[in-house]
Amino acid sequence: MDIVIIGNGAAGMNAALDVRKRHPDWSITLISEESDHFFSRTALMWIHSGQLSHADTEPLERDVYARLNFRRVRARATGLDTTAKKVLLAGGLEPVPYDRLLVACGSRPRPTPFWSGYGELAGVGHFVTHQDLAWYEKEVHGGPSLAGGPPNAEAHLAATTEDSPYQFRPVAAEKRGRLAKEVAVIGGGLIGIEAVEVAHAAGLHPHFLIREEWFWPMALSKAESTWIAARMAEHGVQVHLEHEIEGLNGADGLVTGVKTNRGDIPADCVVIAIGVVPNTEWLGDAVERDKFGGIVVDEGLRTSAEGVFAAGDCASVRWFNGVQRPEQLWYTARDQGKLAACALMGDAVTYKRGSFYNSAKLFDIEWTQAGLVGFDLEDQEETYLEEQGAVRSTIRVVHRRGEVIGFNLLGRRYDHTVLIRWINERRSPDWVLEHLHEASFDTEFVPALSIAQGGR
Amino acid sequence: MYAQGQDGLMNTYRSPWRNRTPRTYALSATIIGFYCLLYFTDVLEPVAQAVKLQNKWYLYGALYCVFMTIGGIYMLRTHGNSRYHKLRITVNILVQIVLGFTLPFVMPFFGGKEFYWSYFWPLKYDYFFPDTLWGLPWYMALYTLLGSLVLTPVLALAFGKRWYCSWVCGCGALANTFGDPWRHMTSSSTASWRFEKYSIHAVLLFILGLTGIMLVDGFGGKQIGWFHELAGQTKWVYGFFVGSVLSGVIGTGVYPVLGPRIWCRNFCPMAAILGITQKAGRFRIAVKPDMCISCGNCTTYCEMGIDVRAYAQQNESFTRASCVGCGMCAHVCPRGVLKLENGALELNTDKAASGQLSIDF
Ligand SMILES: Cc1cc2nc3c(=O)[nH]c(=O)nc-3n(C[C@H](O)[C@H](O)[C@H](O)COP(=O)(O)OP(=O)(O)OC[C@H]3O[C@@H](n4cnc5c(N)ncnc54)[C@H](O)[C@@H]3O)c2cc1C
Ligand code: SF4
Ligand code: SF4
Repeated sequence: MDIVIIGNGAAGMNAALDVRKRHPDWSITLISEESDHFFSRTALMWIHSGQLSHADTEPLERDVYARLNFRRVRARATGLDTTAKKVLLAGGLEPVPYDRLLVACGSRPRPTPFWSGYGELAGVGHFVTHQDLAWYEKEVHGGPSLAGGPPNAEAHLAATTEDSPYQFRPVAAEKRGRLAKEVAVIGGGLIGIEAVEVAHAAGLHPHFLIREEWFWPMALSKAESTWIAARMAEHGVQVHLEHEIEGLNGADGLVTGVKTNRGDIPADCVVIAIGVVPNTEWLGDAVERDKFGGIVVDEGLRTSAEGVFAAGDCASVRWFNGVQRPEQLWYTARDQGKLAACALMGDAVTYKRGSFYNSAKLFDIEWTQAGLVGFDLEDQEETYLEEQGAVRSTIRVVHRRGEVIGFNLLGRRYDHTVLIRWINERRSPDWVLEHLHEASFDTEFVPALSIAQGGR
Repeated sequence: MYAQGQDGLMNTYRSPWRNRTPRTYALSATIIGFYCLLYFTDVLEPVAQAVKLQNKWYLYGALYCVFMTIGGIYMLRTHGNSRYHKLRITVNILVQIVLGFTLPFVMPFFGGKEFYWSYFWPLKYDYFFPDTLWGLPWYMALYTLLGSLVLTPVLALAFGKRWYCSWVCGCGALANTFGDPWRHMTSSSTASWRFEKYSIHAVLLFILGLTGIMLVDGFGGKQIGWFHELAGQTKWVYGFFVGSVLSGVIGTGVYPVLGPRIWCRNFCPMAAILGITQKAGRFRIAVKPDMCISCGNCTTYCEMGIDVRAYAQQNESFTRASCVGCGMCAHVCPRGVLKLENGALELNTDKAASGQLSIDF
C-alpha cells in the first residue's frame, strides 16, 4: 500500500504516525515544500524573539523519519492526476504515485487586495511560514538567533514555483544596509498581534494598523479590546484604529510606508497579517473546493476524488451551524489528521466537532473563549463584569433565553472543558457567575476570583 | 537593544551569554576552575583572611549568597509576574541566607555547633554516619534523623519533591537563581533521560551502601582493621567523586552549557528518594485537554529535561519522579495548559469532542 501525504504539519504528521503504528510495512511518503521537519507553526513568534530555537518547536526528535521509515520529499506539489493516481511535482521531479492520498497542505497568507508585487518592493512580507519568519528575522534582527535557522532551509528552491507561499521575500534591511526601525503590521488578529509583539521584543515601537473600530472584533468586545489596546500602548505599540489600507509606498525598490485613508504611515518593514486562506490553488479542479478555497470533505474526510482525503487547515468541514468551511486551529488539525489516518486505513470514521473554544495570551493578558461568542444570535444577551482587585480580569457571559451559550474571559486562566460542560448543561447566567471560580485554572497563589456584587 | 522585562518575550537565543558560545564555555571553565581551587587547594585561605573571614568555606558561603541573591533578582525581573516564582525565590534566598549561611557560621561563635538546618541525609551524607551523629547535641541529632526519615517523605507525599528541591535546598536555590538563565540548556533528548535513570539510582545505591558500611563501622566494625580501612576508603571515594566533583565542580561548573540541574537530575541521592516518594504522593502537573499548541516552551524551559509537551499533546496529567516542581512549565505556557497541583482528586474535566485520541511519540 502506497500512502502519500502532502504536508508534514500537525495534520499530515499525526496521520503518518498513526498509520505507521498499525501498518509497519506500508510505504508512507511525506511531501513537504516548507521544511524538512514537522514543527509547530504556532511557535513562530518565539523563534523570532529568540525564546525558542527551531529544534525546540519540533515536537518529535529529528530522527523520526528514519526511525519510522517515512520517505521525505522536499518539493512543491503542483497538481494531482486523479485518474493515474499521481502527485505532480515542481522542478521536473518524477510524479509520486499513490494508492491513498492525504492532502494536508495547510493555509497561506490571504492575498493582499491593496497590493501585489513581492519582486518590486523589498521589506514587505507575512508571518505564516518558515520563509516568512526568515525574512522578518532578517529585517528586524539581521538574521536568525544564535541557535540558527532550520536545517536545509533552501532545499525546496530547486523544486518550487513563483507563486508558492514558501518563497523567501526580498529583505529591505540588506539592500538598505540598516535594520528596520519602523515596523508596520497590517491586520488586527492573532497573527497580527504576534507580529507586533516580536517587533516590540526587539526594542521597536511598531505601528499596528487595524481596519476595524477596535482590535479583533471577531473575538473581543469594545471594552475588552480597549483594555488590550491600552496594554499595547503602555508597551510602546502605536495602535491605529479604523485605518483602511489603500496601498504601500516605496522608493528605489524599498518600502517606505503604508497609504491609508487617514494619511501615510512611515514604515521600513511591513508585515501583512490580514488572515489566512486554504493553501489549495495548486489543486485546480482536481478536487471540489468551497468558496473560501477549502477542500470540501464529507464527515469521513473524503474529498470528491477517489482515494483522496483532506485534513487540517486546508479541509472544509461542516460546522455545528451547518456552514461548510475550514477550521484553522492547531487542535483541529491534529484531530483531523488522526482521524484521516483511520480513514486512510479503511476504517469508517465520522468527524464531528464539539463546541468551539480557544485560548491565547495577548501580550501578558490571558484569554479564553468557549461556546458561541460574537455570533449575534437572535435574543442573545450578554453579562459583562470587570474584576479590579489584586488581579485585573474581565468576564463576558453570552446567554440566550436564560441559558448560557458562550464565555469570553480575559486576565485569568480557565479550564474550557468545565465552561463547555456548563453550556451543555444549559446553566443560567447567575448560576455560572456564582460557580465561575470552579472553572479556574490559575497557577498557585493567584488570588481567587472576586467579582464585585452589583457590578452587573 | 533588547527589551526584557516581566511581561516581555524572552530573547534567550539571541543572547551570546545564554547559548553555547565561546563566552559560555569560558564562563563554565572559570566556574570549574574556581571549584577546583576551593575543594582541592588552599589558595583561597589568604583571600578569606584578607576579607576577615575565618576560612575559605566562610568565603564560599558569602560568595554563594551574593551570586544567589543577584541571580534571584534577575530571575524575578524576568519571571516575577508569576506569584509562584516570587514566593518561591524569596523563600529560597531567605532559607539560604539564614539557615544555610548565617546560622551555621554564627553558632560556633556562641559556642554552638556548626549545623545546617536545611540539609538532610543523604544529601548531607555524613549526617547519618555514627561519628557525626554522636558529635551532635541530642536535639540536633533528633532533628536530622526525623528530618530525613519523617519530615522529608511526609512533605514529599503531600506536596511533591518541590518542597525541598525548589524551596529549601541550597543546590536548587543556586540553580534557580544564578543558574536560571541557562535552564533551556538542559537536554530533553531520550538519550539524556536513559542516562539519568541509571546514574541517579547508581548514586543512591552507593550512598545506601556507604551509609550501611559506616553504621557497621560505628557499631563495632571499627575493631576489624581491614573493614575500618575499607569504610574509610569508600567514604573518601564518595566524598571526592560525588560530594566534590559531581555536586560542586561539575554540578555548578556546567551551568552555562548543560543547564543548572545536572547534579539534581542525574546524581543527587536525595532527589532520587524524593522522586520515588513523589510518584506515590499527591503532586502532579494537570493538563488541560486539547488546548496545547505544541509550541515547546514548556519542554524547552523545563530544567529537568522533561518532555512536558508530549504529555500536554496526549492530554495526560502526569507526575514524573524527576520533576522538581519549579513551576516554569506552567508559567511559560502561552495557552495556560499546565497547572501544578497537590490534589488527590481527579481533574474536573471532560474529554473534548475528539474522544480518546492519543499520540505516541
Ligand atoms: C503565526 C501563527 C500563529 C498561530 N497560532 C495558533 C494558535 O495559537 N492556536 C491555534 O490553534 N492555531 C494557531 N495557528 C494556526 C495553526 O498553526 C494551524 O491551524 C495548523 O498549523 C494547521 O496545520 P496543518 O497541518 O493543517 O497545516 P500546516 O502546518 O500549515 O502544514 C502545511 C504543510 O503542507 C506543506 N505544503 C503546502 N503546500 C504544499 C505543496 N503545494 N507542495 C508540497 N507541500 C506543501 C507545507 O510544507 C507544510 O508542511 C497559528 C498560525 C500562525 C501562522
Ligand atoms: S515539569 Fe515543570 S515544574 Fe517540573 S521540573 Fe519541569 S518545568 Fe519544573
Ligand atoms: S507550553 Fe503549553 S502550549 Fe506550548 S507545548 Fe507546552 S503545554 Fe503546549
